Amino acid sequence: MKIGSGQDAGARPAPYMNPYLAGIGIGLVLLAAFVIAGRGLGASGAFANVVSFVVNLVAPAHAADNSFYQKYLSRASNPFKDWLFIEVIGVIIGGFVSGILAGRVSRTIERGPRISDKGRLAFAFGGGILTAFGAQFGRGCTSGQALTGGSLLNLGSWAFMLSVFAGGYGIAYFLRREWK
Amino acid sequence: MTAPLMTSGVLSPAYSLLVALLIGISFGFFLERAGFGSARKLVAQFYLTDLSVFKVMFTAIVTAMVGVFVLSRVGFLDIGEMPIIGTYLVPEIIGGLILGIGFVMGGY
Repeated sequence: MKIGSGQDAGARPAPYMNPYLAGIGIGLVLLAAFVIAGRGLGASGAFANVVSFVVNLVAPAHAADNSFYQKYLSRASNPFKDWLFIEVIGVIIGGFVSGILAGRVSRTIERGPRISDKGRLAFAFGGGILTAFGAQFGRGCTSGQALTGGSLLNLGSWAFMLSVFAGGYGIAYFLRREWK
Repeated sequence: MTAPLMTSGVLSPAYSLLVALLIGISFGFFLERAGFGSARKLVAQFYLTDLSVFKVMFTAIVTAMVGVFVLSRVGFLDIGEMPIIGTYLVPEIIGGLILGIGFVMGGY
């Protein structure tokens, strides 16, 4: 979702929520997922699920031979009736509703002043590939590994989370023209 | 142990996808409230101009962690049913580093 200044002339977007309050909110949502369903939050698994479905459509022989795709294909007959997939649809709806209510929904490409729109989109595409690859390689993303595994004190989740910050801080200087 | 409600039989697994949708909507709502619909706000964490990602993430982790601890201690939540991911340190560290680079490059 692209969020910038409010779309209506003169309308100012509402300020963001206090980060500690928002954190408590997300923590309680995660706790609710644990208590109700015995599951955590996630995002990257939903993408892997849809990717497996599409690969199976266009190259069933390749998918049948690959244990990564099989893991997702064997779970449900309909990939769109998957828990994580529906949860991610909910995230999009919830984010959009919040953005509308706060007057933050608008069409913009967020970037620093020293990069073109095209350049920013190219970096977004490359960053998306790295993010998806890293999430599959590391068995999760900031939701599934860092938040869910982190709150359960999974050793690997904390190693993952600290590595995410290390990677981000390590590369930030070299990408400063994109944002500042 | 009465929770997780869906594995203990208190709540029918037939409602599973409805729960997924409601959990997702709430998660997305708070993420956007925190400002995480903005790529610049997310990336600002790595230029140390806005530490919201830190504050939100670790508050959420501690909140859920305390909740799981207390609810399992009083015998309500079966901690054995929590989604534990196996430990694979090398891929998790490499995957984390790659994801962190992609985070700043793409604006998540």
